[in-house]
Amino acid sequence: MDPTDDRPTESVDKTHDRRGAPIDRPTSARDTALRYAETHISHVAVVFAFVLYPVVYSFLLGTPLGDEFAVLLPRIRTMIAVLYLGLFAMSFDFISGYTGYLSFGHAMFYGTGAYLVVMAANGKLPIVSPETPFFVLLLVAAALAGVLALAVGAVSFRLSGVYFAMITLGFAEVLHVFIQNWDRVSDNPRDGAAVTSPDGFELGVPGIDGLTFEIGRLVGDSVENAFGLGIDLSSAELSYYLIGAVVLVCYFALQRIIHSPFGRVLIAIRENEERARAVGYHTFFYKMGAFAIAGAFAAIAGGLYAGYRRSVAPESTFDLFVTADALLASIIGGFGTLAGPLYGHLFHETLSGILSTDSDGLARYLRETIPQSVLEAELVGIEVLRLVNVLIDGRAELYLGMIFILFVLFVPRGLLGSVRDRLGGTVSEVVAMRVRQWRKNR
Amino acid sequence: MTLLRLDNVHASYGQSTVLQGVSLEIEAGEVVALIGRNGVGKTTTIRSILGLTPPSSGTVQFRDGDITGMETHDIAQRGIGWVPEDRRMFSNLTVDENIRIATPNPANVPDAFETAYSTFPELTEHRKKPAGDLSGGQQQMVAIARGLVGDNDLLLVDEPSEGLAPLIVDAVAEAIETVSQEATVLLVEQNFPLAMELADRYYLLAHGTVVDSGSTEGVSRDDEMIRRHLSA
Amino acid sequence: MIADVTALSTAIGLTQLPLLTDVTIGIARVVLDGLSKAALFVLIASGLSLIFGLMGILNFAHGSLTMIGAYLGGVVMVVTVTSDTAGPTRLLLFFLAIAAVFGALTAFGAAMERTIIRPIYDRAPLFQILLTFGVVLVLDELVRIIVEFRGLQPQSDWQAAIGTAPDSLSTWYDVAGVSIRGLYLFEIAIGAAVVAAIYLFLTRTRYGLYIRAGSEDPEMTQALGIDIRRAFTVVFGIGAGLAGVAGVMLMWDPRYGASVPLGVETLLIGFIVVIIGGLGSFKGTVVASLLAGGTDATMTWVFQNHVPFPGLPEMVLFVVLVGVLIVRPQGLFGLAEVGGH
Repeated sequence: MDPTDDRPTESVDKTHDRRGAPIDRPTSARDTALRYAETHISHVAVVFAFVLYPVVYSFLLGTPLGDEFAVLLPRIRTMIAVLYLGLFAMSFDFISGYTGYLSFGHAMFYGTGAYLVVMAANGKLPIVSPETPFFVLLLVAAALAGVLALAVGAVSFRLSGVYFAMITLGFAEVLHVFIQNWDRVSDNPRDGAAVTSPDGFELGVPGIDGLTFEIGRLVGDSVENAFGLGIDLSSAELSYYLIGAVVLVCYFALQRIIHSPFGRVLIAIRENEERARAVGYHTFFYKMGAFAIAGAFAAIAGGLYAGYRRSVAPESTFDLFVTADALLASIIGGFGTLAGPLYGHLFHETLSGILSTDSDGLARYLRETIPQSVLEAELVGIEVLRLVNVLIDGRAELYLGMIFILFVLFVPRGLLGSVRDRLGGTVSEVVAMRVRQWRKNR
Repeated sequence: MTLLRLDNVHASYGQSTVLQGVSLEIEAGEVVALIGRNGVGKTTTIRSILGLTPPSSGTVQFRDGDITGMETHDIAQRGIGWVPEDRRMFSNLTVDENIRIATPNPANVPDAFETAYSTFPELTEHRKKPAGDLSGGQQQMVAIARGLVGDNDLLLVDEPSEGLAPLIVDAVAEAIETVSQEATVLLVEQNFPLAMELADRYYLLAHGTVVDSGSTEGVSRDDEMIRRHLSA
Repeated sequence: MIADVTALSTAIGLTQLPLLTDVTIGIARVVLDGLSKAALFVLIASGLSLIFGLMGILNFAHGSLTMIGAYLGGVVMVVTVTSDTAGPTRLLLFFLAIAAVFGALTAFGAAMERTIIRPIYDRAPLFQILLTFGVVLVLDELVRIIVEFRGLQPQSDWQAAIGTAPDSLSTWYDVAGVSIRGLYLFEIAIGAAVVAAIYLFLTRTRYGLYIRAGSEDPEMTQALGIDIRRAFTVVFGIGAGLAGVAGVMLMWDPRYGASVPLGVETLLIGFIVVIIGGLGSFKGTVVASLLAGGTDATMTWVFQNHVPFPGLPEMVLFVVLVGVLIVRPQGLFGLAEVGGH
């Protein structure tokens, strides 16, 4: 499925790379450090782009084309959703894209994390007190979801293919119905629950007061003149950076696992489970491990969601369509690429933002900029205004569905997968190679 | 008249190439045996003719037409029948239904029943039973009967004696002999004496290609080529 | 001691212990409700079952097709029925709506198979799940657009369509000491009729023979000169048409009604029934419908009388699904080898 990924059988040869070219060994400690830096150039560039985004965004909105940029570019608030749902999609890709087992009930782990955070904060849970620091809550959520994944996996991994997808969906739906009716959640569990305390959840460097801030919509901290650098951060921007930092750490953790021997076995399972078993791997335990890891990170994503939004509802956590969001992100971004789902979800949120009914959506922009005479004119017998309202206003899901089908049919490797095919390797490898050549030829 | 002609047929399953240039000819009315060790490509040759494993190169001609790359059902409709290895019963369908589905024209079903049950009287009492409930020998009869009622000019018969008791093998051999009076037969058979007894000519396959061929008249297991490529 | 028992029963939600007469009436109630549920379940699941049986494709869009069937059926009824229309005429129009929706969705399903399903037969089963799921996203949203455009609320049931049912169906009848809505009896009749029709199609027609043979061994079927790809198109079409028929029936039922979420709701029911019965076995689908209908009715009764947890029937259905997959992954009547799909 993915010719660029490391195969366990091919790591024996230490003198040639996968494409058969001789590997030149590092000659000094400095060289080793440089090489390490080179392989992370693209990672640094991506992180940098995300870090700079709020600055660039507010700058572009100040230009004469500000209205247009406001329509096209996702808001900071939207970017926060990109981060935590991107992490959720990555955790989905970790199990489904790498082992080939479609975790169709993945939303149950996201929901577990989200509900744990809100219910703990409201003092509805035993052991976990309302005063528990947020990052500890995230770890507890991860552990709980990991255990849940092991329980679900112990049963589900006896099956494969469609059956695995169905049984995980079955488990998720049991929990979905349960959470809709569990009166411990709130007086009206069908509508979910909100955090009752007025304080925001805190993220930052643990133990250092000055570097810990409250996140959250409406309640989050804002910072003036951060670190004496003259930078002002709005509460949305601060939440964006703090949540972004957690997601970044999670991404690197997942990436390390994928590139470890453990990760190579997962890929071997996807390519040919029989063979992996014949080679001597006890694939069941590898799948269980991967599922627990995926569940844990999905719960962290759900915890971040709950920490920022400060409320949870069954349809935005345990629902089949939450899993569908991860599915969309993975397919569009690139199945089995880990980073791809983040870009896939960025694409999703950008399109949703453009087609949203909000003040910086395309529909409202068109209604305000197109002359009244044109809006009232008729196109194929229907008023233009009505066409705008019906075809553009809040219609992202329709076009996303169509794009999704086209990707499944014609771009099954997704955006990042296709880029890797074109380059002949992962972006970080290819960038590192180019830089090394450039260094040599200088 | 040459009924079937394979010319340099190559075929593979995914990465592994099985047929590496098989050429053979079958005249109308003949019974031709395809012999060779396990895994040399006998079944794959049959699958290539039927388009189930389409040739990657080379051509298959049936009567005067080129059938290479055609859809399996088109090839079958031209008059090629298949009596597959392991018999491949529709086990949930009754014996009657197995015969019915093999009959191309619904109007001819009564005739097909007549043909099938006069050839294999033993099946008559099991007509309404699911084919999966029959014995191995009876299932082989149904498989042959399916080939028989399909208006086929050529029957591809794969390992008909495999896994059957000696007494049943005799009955099956007799059935093939009966069949061969109506149609041309390409027979894959592990049982060497049986193959030689039933066939007019043979092709010997090794490593995905034809290494020897000739009349079955007076051929013995001790012949140099046959011993080298057949004995284990 | 007695105080202990009371405390315990309160703790586990038992409010009172049932009396004997209650039990007999309870059983009759459960049997009738169970049958009406089973009839709906088998309507919902049979198309899904046929398609998976022949082609090994689990059609995620099945629920959306049911939902579209409900709306289309509703359109036919709302347009043709006025307040003066007599009961028998309404029933006649209902059967007309079933025929029209079956025809329209069969054509739609066949077109869908030819255009987007056919190119992915050779890919991993994963892609078939993904593709049909993409169809769900598009269809649900398209319906939402049209429904909103027409000034209806996509989230809640279409009351005008429910109102086209004849009065005789909303009347309550006394059967075996239990009063039951006429509609539920009608649903039992329709469900039985559809099961009989599918059974006759599968066993008495040549195409049914192709389908049963193709479900077992597509290669052998092709080698007998049968164009299995065309059978795929036909079966996918019929499966979609049956989904639509289920939708028309649900359009009249106040427990369901035409709404966009009906798609996912019925899809999950369809999955439960088809998997419990064994993917690809029509007999299994019928038996599983009865089992699921009975379970649903029993749990509804338990909820109404003893355990105050509203999600109970639905949750128990999923628990049954998970239980069956653990004990017998291929389902009650499924063939073991289909498990590889």
